[in-house]
Amino acid sequence: MQLNENQSMIRQMARDFATAKVAPIAHAIDRDGTFPEATVREMGELGFLGLVVPEEYGGVGADITSYALVVEELSRACGSHGLTVAAHNSLGCWPIATFGTEEQKRKYLPPAAAGTSLLSFGLTEAGAGSDAGGTRTTAVRDGDFWVLNGSKMWITNSHYAGALIITAKTDPAATGSRGISAFIVETGTPGFTVEKKEDKLGMRASDTAPLTLVDVRVPHANLLGKEGEGFKYFMKTLDGGRISIAALALGLAEGAFAVARDYTKQREQFGKPIAEFQAVQFMLADMATQIAAARLLTYEACRLKDAGQDYAHMSAMAKLHTSETAMFVTDRAIQCLGGYGYTTEYPVERMYRDAKLCTIGEGTSEIQRLVIGRHALGL
Amino acid sequence: MKIAVCVKQVPDSETRINLAAPAAKLDQTGFTRVLNPYDAYAVEEAVRIKEARGGEITAITVGPETVRETLKKDCLAVGCDKAIIINDPLLAGADDAAIADVLCAALKKDNYDLILFGIKAIDDDSGQVGILVAEKLGLPHVSTITKLELGEGTLTAHREIEGGKEIVDCPLPAVLTCQKGLNEPRLPSLPNIMKAGMKPMQIVTCADLGVTPPAALVEIRQYSPPPARGTCRLVTGDDAAAAARELARVLNEEAKVI
Ligand SMILES: Cc1cc2nc3c(=O)[nH]c(=O)nc-3n(C[C@H](O)[C@H](O)[C@H](O)COP(=O)(O)OP(=O)(O)OC[C@H]3O[C@@H](n4cnc5c(N)ncnc54)[C@H](O)[C@@H]3O)c2cc1C
Ligand SMILES: Cc1cc2nc3c(=O)[nH]c(=O)nc-3n(C[C@H](O)[C@H](O)[C@H](O)COP(=O)(O)OP(=O)(O)OC[C@H]3O[C@@H](n4cnc5c(N)ncnc54)[C@H](O)[C@@H]3O)c2cc1C
Repeated sequence: MQLNENQSMIRQMARDFATAKVAPIAHAIDRDGTFPEATVREMGELGFLGLVVPEEYGGVGADITSYALVVEELSRACGSHGLTVAAHNSLGCWPIATFGTEEQKRKYLPPAAAGTSLLSFGLTEAGAGSDAGGTRTTAVRDGDFWVLNGSKMWITNSHYAGALIITAKTDPAATGSRGISAFIVETGTPGFTVEKKEDKLGMRASDTAPLTLVDVRVPHANLLGKEGEGFKYFMKTLDGGRISIAALALGLAEGAFAVARDYTKQREQFGKPIAEFQAVQFMLADMATQIAAARLLTYEACRLKDAGQDYAHMSAMAKLHTSETAMFVTDRAIQCLGGYGYTTEYPVERMYRDAKLCTIGEGTSEIQRLVIGRHALGL
Repeated sequence: MKIAVCVKQVPDSETRINLAAPAAKLDQTGFTRVLNPYDAYAVEEAVRIKEARGGEITAITVGPETVRETLKKDCLAVGCDKAIIINDPLLAGADDAAIADVLCAALKKDNYDLILFGIKAIDDDSGQVGILVAEKLGLPHVSTITKLELGEGTLTAHREIEGGKEIVDCPLPAVLTCQKGLNEPRLPSLPNIMKAGMKPMQIVTCADLGVTPPAALVEIRQYSPPPARGTCRLVTGDDAAAAARELARVLNEEAKVI
């Protein structure tokens, strides 16, 4: 893969930031489950939170390849940082930049790009996960307002968000994917509550929480795009978001691989470095091969999106393969480290826990297979 | 305030140098190259001065065209206004004195109030170029600075000396070499990286500068790898006293160090 000069500089800068600022805190924020406010502020100053926001709205206006490179580099050091940046850019900023009105973009994108307030995406509900058509949250028109009622689950960055995109049923008679609309809801709106954050297996420093909406009055001007088109918008949003989850998983796999490679060269058993045993070399060979394939898929999806071509199937393949690769590689990395890998003294167990999210968030591996299968069959 | 920052691209300190046997040349394939870390202090200081009092910063380097990316990311995107790359086949094998001559020619093309260098480049650790430039230009120089305050036409610099610090006043224009501790270099922001390409970057030859680099006074004859580290040996004994006796014996009779 040949990077252009801008992409190469951006990757190097992201790597420098991850090495200097993220890697040193990754262990502690995972252990304590604390959201890294200070580094998130710095990421805002450096432009990481405005990667997909056009320049005229205070963003970087980077191509998707550059964006994926940043997420990848952050995630080599810490999955939670990768997820915070990925969810904010792909799920929060991108739909407003793509489907929003001029006023919505002017109002919500500049503070988001500067990182003074994050943007979140509230789609999932207790009864509507893989099947987002099962959305129960409702929005009822009342003059110039819509009144929202319902609840959401697992919403990333929501405690730190200034506004969220919330999907709700606006046509109670419509079934399945029809009759859903998307609204931009400001977090200060009366009746809107971000509940206690979840205690998770991995991505422990990423903020995940349920939301409750009780008679939340949202101005009609905050309807995102057209009424009833919400399903279409979030399908498109997820097509793009999956590239960032692939980049996240790629970074985790690479981070774990680097630890395993270095460790096996140092660790001696039976009188020699364990890297000299073919069984260990084969593990590393399989890891490296899977990572190389994952990288090509991920950046091929980026290339297609940057070139304005159809990329939905490729982003689904990239996400499926890369997140499963991250599970495989982090598991093998622990194996290479033996008992040490199983403890928190080394980062591979954290990477293993973080990687698991990638097979679930923004569509499970099974849902990716549905998307890929439909594309393959021309359905 | 017109500031020049003279910088060099060096191999990343993580770079593994493949040198099995002594050789006259290093195989540099596969090296990742970065801005010399001491030069980053010089760039940062220049940018802080510009932010405080206005001015213009020119980054100048002698090196191949491949330094473009480093100059863009670590100089222009951080706040330098333009960059000059002096690239000439005549400079292959140039020593510090020749590099200083060529830099002087470039520096004389403009009237700089302040010329900043890193204290040394981490590749050859030579640490001479900044001071040579000052001498050749007949300017005062202060080396190894860790703090800088500018007055009107003067500066006050703190410099590290053995076991303490020295505070030096000096008139402008002057040449300073920057030490770790002077400041905390910033990372370039993404928007600035993307815009760095719009800033002028000039590639010039020795002829453009009207200078003929002098023949090298110094020739590098050989690079040799450091001696292989000996294997570790654990000295044991029935108790601490016995282990210490055994250690003393090994140091005396085998290692012959005591
Ligand atoms: C850390 C974290 C952060 C998240 N952040 C956000 C966010 O910011 N915004 C947001 O809206 N959501 C977010 N989510 C929610 C996430 O998108 C959902 O968890 C995901 O879509 C899966 O839905 P579910 O959890 O309800 O699982 P379910 O849909 O109940 O799935 C359970 C299992 O059934 C399988 N399954 C379901 N349907 C099918 C089918 N048709 N065919 C085959 N298998 C099927 C699934 O693959 C899975 O294995 C987040 C989740 C997590 C864990
Ligand atoms: C939670 C936990 C509880 C434990 N409890 C106990 C206990 O109660 N008592 C006790 O004595 N021990 C205990 N252990 C230690 C455990 O038995 C060792 O971790 C295990 O034997 C592996 O040794 P190691 O961790 O040193 O890994 P290593 O031996 O360093 O192995 C690292 C990697 O190299 C591979 N490798 C090593 N040698 C070869 C070879 N010749 N050929 C191919 N591959 C090779 C291994 O398969 C592994 O993938 C425990 C470990 C854990 C994590």
